[in-house]
Amino acid sequence: MTITTAGTSHEGRTVYTASGEYTGKTSVKSRRRSILPVRFHRLRDRLIAYGLMLPATSVFVMFFYVPAAYMLYISFFHWGVLSSATNFVGLANFRTLLNQPLFLHSLLTSLYYTLVMIPATVLLSLGIALLLKEAITRRKRGAGIWRGAVFLPHVTPVLATSIIWVWIFNPQFGLANFVLTHLGLPALGWLESVHWALPAVIIDSLWHSLGLYVIIFLAGLSTVPRDLLEVARLDGAKKYYTFRRIIWPLISPTTFFVTLLATINSWQAFSQIYAMTGGPHGGAGGPAYATTTDALLVYQTAFVYEHFSLAAAMSVVLFGIIMTLTLIQKWISDRIVFYR
Amino acid sequence: MAKIVLKNVKKQYGKKDAAAMEDVSLVVGEGEFLVLLGPSGCGKTTLLRILAGLEDPTAGEIWFDDRLVNEEPPDLRSVGMVFQNYALYPHMTVFENMAFGLRARGVPKQVIKQTVHDMVALLGLEGVTDHRPKQLSGGQRQRVALGRALVRDPELFLMDEPLSNLDANLREQMRMELARIHGQLKVTTVYVTHDQSEALTLADRIVVMNGGHVKQVGTPGEIYTSPADTFVAGFVGSPGMNLWKLEWEETEDGISLGDGALLLPRSFLPVLATLPRTVIVGIRPEHLELSFGKTDVKVVCRAEFFENLGSHTQLHAGLVTSGADYVNTDSPRLVARLDSDAFIDAGERVTLTAPASAINLFDAETGIRVQTDGASYFDQTDRWALT
Repeated sequence: MTITTAGTSHEGRTVYTASGEYTGKTSVKSRRRSILPVRFHRLRDRLIAYGLMLPATSVFVMFFYVPAAYMLYISFFHWGVLSSATNFVGLANFRTLLNQPLFLHSLLTSLYYTLVMIPATVLLSLGIALLLKEAITRRKRGAGIWRGAVFLPHVTPVLATSIIWVWIFNPQFGLANFVLTHLGLPALGWLESVHWALPAVIIDSLWHSLGLYVIIFLAGLSTVPRDLLEVARLDGAKKYYTFRRIIWPLISPTTFFVTLLATINSWQAFSQIYAMTGGPHGGAGGPAYATTTDALLVYQTAFVYEHFSLAAAMSVVLFGIIMTLTLIQKWISDRIVFYR
Repeated sequence: MAKIVLKNVKKQYGKKDAAAMEDVSLVVGEGEFLVLLGPSGCGKTTLLRILAGLEDPTAGEIWFDDRLVNEEPPDLRSVGMVFQNYALYPHMTVFENMAFGLRARGVPKQVIKQTVHDMVALLGLEGVTDHRPKQLSGGQRQRVALGRALVRDPELFLMDEPLSNLDANLREQMRMELARIHGQLKVTTVYVTHDQSEALTLADRIVVMNGGHVKQVGTPGEIYTSPADTFVAGFVGSPGMNLWKLEWEETEDGISLGDGALLLPRSFLPVLATLPRTVIVGIRPEHLELSFGKTDVKVVCRAEFFENLGSHTQLHAGLVTSGADYVNTDSPRLVARLDSDAFIDAGERVTLTAPASAINLFDAETGIRVQTDGASYFDQTDRWALT
């Protein structure tokens, strides 16, 4: 027996099972389900699930896992674009790397870049996020516009922003030196100086990437319950004390995520360096290899000097470094990050 | 312990918004337990937040003893507050939660340790001081929130529906606990709730609020027995007071209301004579009874359904107002709380009785209570005056 819902004329559109129990499902579905074996339904559900995952997974496998595996493979061979990888050389490529001062130099450059980028990213993006959050909470006019303005550089192509920064850092006519000299400070060589080229690239990278991290921190800050901040105010905690004892621990998962992302992005920094230090300033990575990070060196080794297997070995080392750093960060985070 | 005085306090969030709270004047005596009672959105939490300093009043004055605190930030007001969801710091232990306020104020470590230890003992939280809130039961979290607010020895203690997240048994237990703690510490307390049983059992005085206005201030007894208007009469009590809008006329048997649905003794004539033909009559459900003897007040109704609630039974009926022998959906509703052994069939015609003293009269237009001498409740009472 099925009981048709009052006022519904559809055939079989019911909300009761044969025993009269309320299910909330249509009986058409339940009747069909009862005919087919349960195993069939499980199989069908799985197939649907895998089917839905297939497009994204295949793209990921095709453009990430396969090239990564192939890169590992060719790092043990002597490999050229037009020849097949038959000349097995074992760890020779890695031994060559260890004897290459430029590779070690690029690792140190990347380390310098990363060590400056991470704290600068966290401090600046968190600072801006806190200011924006305050403006949003107090419903200050223009808070939304500021949020958009901070995010805008991130959605602008890195090549475009880098060209702007090349102009800003022009030693003769650039805005940077104009400001410095007006402040009574000496003008700098910026991209033409061995000492200042990398800081100039770092400034561009920070400017370009901050928007993303600010948005992530804003999301993190919005998870701190307002009640807790109000209790802290009642408890007599001043702003800095509240930040240190309440906000900072509660957003530690966000901070960890930002640190992780900034680390990975720093070790992989390429486009901005290529754009800022190439062209009229000579080969990318200059002057005198001052901005040659390992990602840039991988590119140059592969596509300029056409030592693909050596570049593959460099990539493997780079992968190992990023993986190790990530695991270390994870280990640290398990001890200090507070997950609610 | 402070005496709190509010003078014509108003809160309006946006210029175009309606006032969340208006013209609130109150005195909270030193050591008093004052309960703000009202439905959701009546402005009680806004009032509490204004007292805490978390919101600024749009107009009016707030005095803590002889200090005007309108401009004082929350941390200078010496206020402890318990939030509805406890708002415990999730990354801190019970001890750290309780010690937070003291540490923020730079109290010496040894003093913090001793003070928190004493509070832990008072609240029976020994053994869980190194637990985080996640590891605690609802009741324990509630106690920690209380302890954190009280450990600083505040002048004013505020609670915003602190028991609403607890199950019924625990709520009752915590209610007793709160009464005990208040009895021991005697902190001036303002407690917000929409649960009238909490209000009636805990309060020294109750402030009933609705639509941003104070409707009545009084002891639980006064609020219950002499509601200032039909809102208070209907809101306080479970179920609320029966309120019937009826026309009255003098008959041979007495005063008949609603064409004989309700019969009042002649002693009400002087009062009713001062009022229009239509009045609102209120009787509490527990004052109605099945009785066949000679009584003052008679109510004729037809039973609709009957509930047995163990300790008592509850009759839901429609008043037979038209003089005819039927009720319909427009008939005034009636709820009567009867003895546990009573039983009435649905559809049965029933005559209920009540003592004359149980009758409450309200002005049909304003809803304001009319005293038995005919004066408006607001004309003759001065109990809200600032003292």
